Amino acid sequence: MNDLRILHLEKKYSKTAAAGQEPFVLQPVDLTIREAEFFTLLGPSGCGKTTLLKLVAGLLQADSGQLWLGDSELTAVPPEDRRFSMVFQQPLLFPHMTIEDNVAFGLKMQKVKRKKRLSLAQEMLEFVGLAGFESRFPDGLSGGQQQRVALARALVADPRLLLMDEPFSALDPGLREEMRELLSRIQKQLGVTVLFVTHDREEAFELSDRIGIMGNGRLLQVGTAMELYELPASTQIARFLGMKNIIPGTVHGGRFISNEGVFEFSAGNSVKAGEWCLILRPEALQLLAPGTPAPAGALLVRGEVGRMKFHHGLYQCKLHVGGAQLDCTLSRQQAESLAAGQVYDFFVLPDDLHLVGI
Amino acid sequence: MGRFISPVKIFLTLIFLLVIGLPFLALLLSSVSLNWQWPEVLPEAFSWRAWDYVLFGSSGTWQAIGTSLVIALVVTAVNIVLAVPAANALARYQFRGKWLMEAIIFAPIIIPPFVAVMGIHLTFLRLGLTETIFGVVLAHLSPTLPYMVRAVVISYNTLAVDWENQARMLGAGAIQRFLHVVLPHLLPGIAAGASLSILISLSQYLITFIIGSGQVITLPILLFPFISGGDPAVAAAYSLMFAGLAIVTLLGMDIALKNYYQTKKTVTGKI
Repeated sequence: MNDLRILHLEKKYSKTAAAGQEPFVLQPVDLTIREAEFFTLLGPSGCGKTTLLKLVAGLLQADSGQLWLGDSELTAVPPEDRRFSMVFQQPLLFPHMTIEDNVAFGLKMQKVKRKKRLSLAQEMLEFVGLAGFESRFPDGLSGGQQQRVALARALVADPRLLLMDEPFSALDPGLREEMRELLSRIQKQLGVTVLFVTHDREEAFELSDRIGIMGNGRLLQVGTAMELYELPASTQIARFLGMKNIIPGTVHGGRFISNEGVFEFSAGNSVKAGEWCLILRPEALQLLAPGTPAPAGALLVRGEVGRMKFHHGLYQCKLHVGGAQLDCTLSRQQAESLAAGQVYDFFVLPDDLHLVGI
Repeated sequence: MGRFISPVKIFLTLIFLLVIGLPFLALLLSSVSLNWQWPEVLPEAFSWRAWDYVLFGSSGTWQAIGTSLVIALVVTAVNIVLAVPAANALARYQFRGKWLMEAIIFAPIIIPPFVAVMGIHLTFLRLGLTETIFGVVLAHLSPTLPYMVRAVVISYNTLAVDWENQARMLGAGAIQRFLHVVLPHLLPGIAAGASLSILISLSQYLITFIIGSGQVITLPILLFPFISGGDPAVAAAYSLMFAGLAIVTLLGMDIALKNYYQTKKTVTGKI
């Protein structure tokens, strides 16, 4: 197996370029990326995700830690000998070379014969949908086309790992969507291992097999999109993933009581006493038909329905519960049976009650 | 489309002719004149004497042109070799005493060459470098290098490190990165610096005269006595030769550079 293993990789910047800034520290990271996996590092800017990417690339030297690919250690191998490749935020196509020569650049560095490397380049260009552009120069291409050439150039030499540093963030939204689909298709077809960096959570959720969430120089949580969404490890991650309805409270004697006293339920005895937050996903709040009893163990929520918005085929509505305001997602039928300003009963099944530490 | 020539354009053309064309005309007339003296507005007698002397006589003009060109080209080549790493360091790295390095490299622009060349002369005398082309080449480096470094520093400033990182991630080693990514980007800057270096080296009189001690004969060395001395016709002919040499050299370099880019484009012109 050619898994990429990151063992305790660490980096400190003692002095940052701008004076007065706090020194940045990337806390030791342990991570295994499986062969042919699409792994994304997701985090706000300045969280250390690009630093980690550059450490893996070898463009930065780690202070300590090791990097392994399968059975070979790469920690001290210079980047040009790692047989990785990288796509940056900018296409960075060499302006004095044709598209074809740009794509074949990596093969040229490996001393592949001209005829062979040009035919491989042509194949790869066809693969990214740019057949016929071989003899043009980069300045004659649009931004999206250039980034596609950059992708072809990175893939043509069959890299052991493809690193991508926010490659689509400089593109228009529509184009970005198209590029994601292209990348996803190509990654699956070629079975290339990808380490992708982005601050766009939709992009991460759409593309990745697994996601690592970073914040303040730490790798906070690793999991599939589903795992992260359903079981975020902390409120920081939940907030970063754009989750609504984060309700602070305390657990005492196995019972959770929200700070305003509105929500109270048994959290089970395994939960330690202390401060916790309850996360209610908007779609976990379900309408209780009048006159029917709530399922056993469910949390009952009685609230006044506020403004309703039609969005992506569903209704998003605000629910005023005590002093708190909750977001909840309702189907069209349910929503149309409600009237704004009225009080209704909702319930949440026990499996959907998720407590996270602060 | 009606043809409209703007008055500004006419004015600029006139200024151009007056300032640049007229002196050349005067030189041309002077070089073919015989005893052109005040108060004659135009020479009254013409003769090919000066040109005959310069081109065919025992004046050693052709040899001087050869020496001038050899010195200028070698100086420029050495400048390129010195300036590229220096510019890389100055443009990209922060190090202690950087201001001092910059001051030393750019000092010859500010300090009169005469001051420096006296010291250089003494040292070269001890080293036995005077009266040699090699010594003159070394001495020409000091007034030319600053311009070369300056031009290449500007080129480096516009080359983001990302380009080299990108090449690196595609498997390019240090030499390959320089050849395939850095050098093509620097080339226009190097060409600009080389033009200046050639021109400055060609027009050196004092340094060549002192270090070469009359044994290294370049065109300015031949030209100077005629200007300060008695024969304005010969001086004018030499001046024209000199201007021609500079123009031909620059044009040659320009064409070579254009050719370089042209071949890059024509290989792939079949869009």
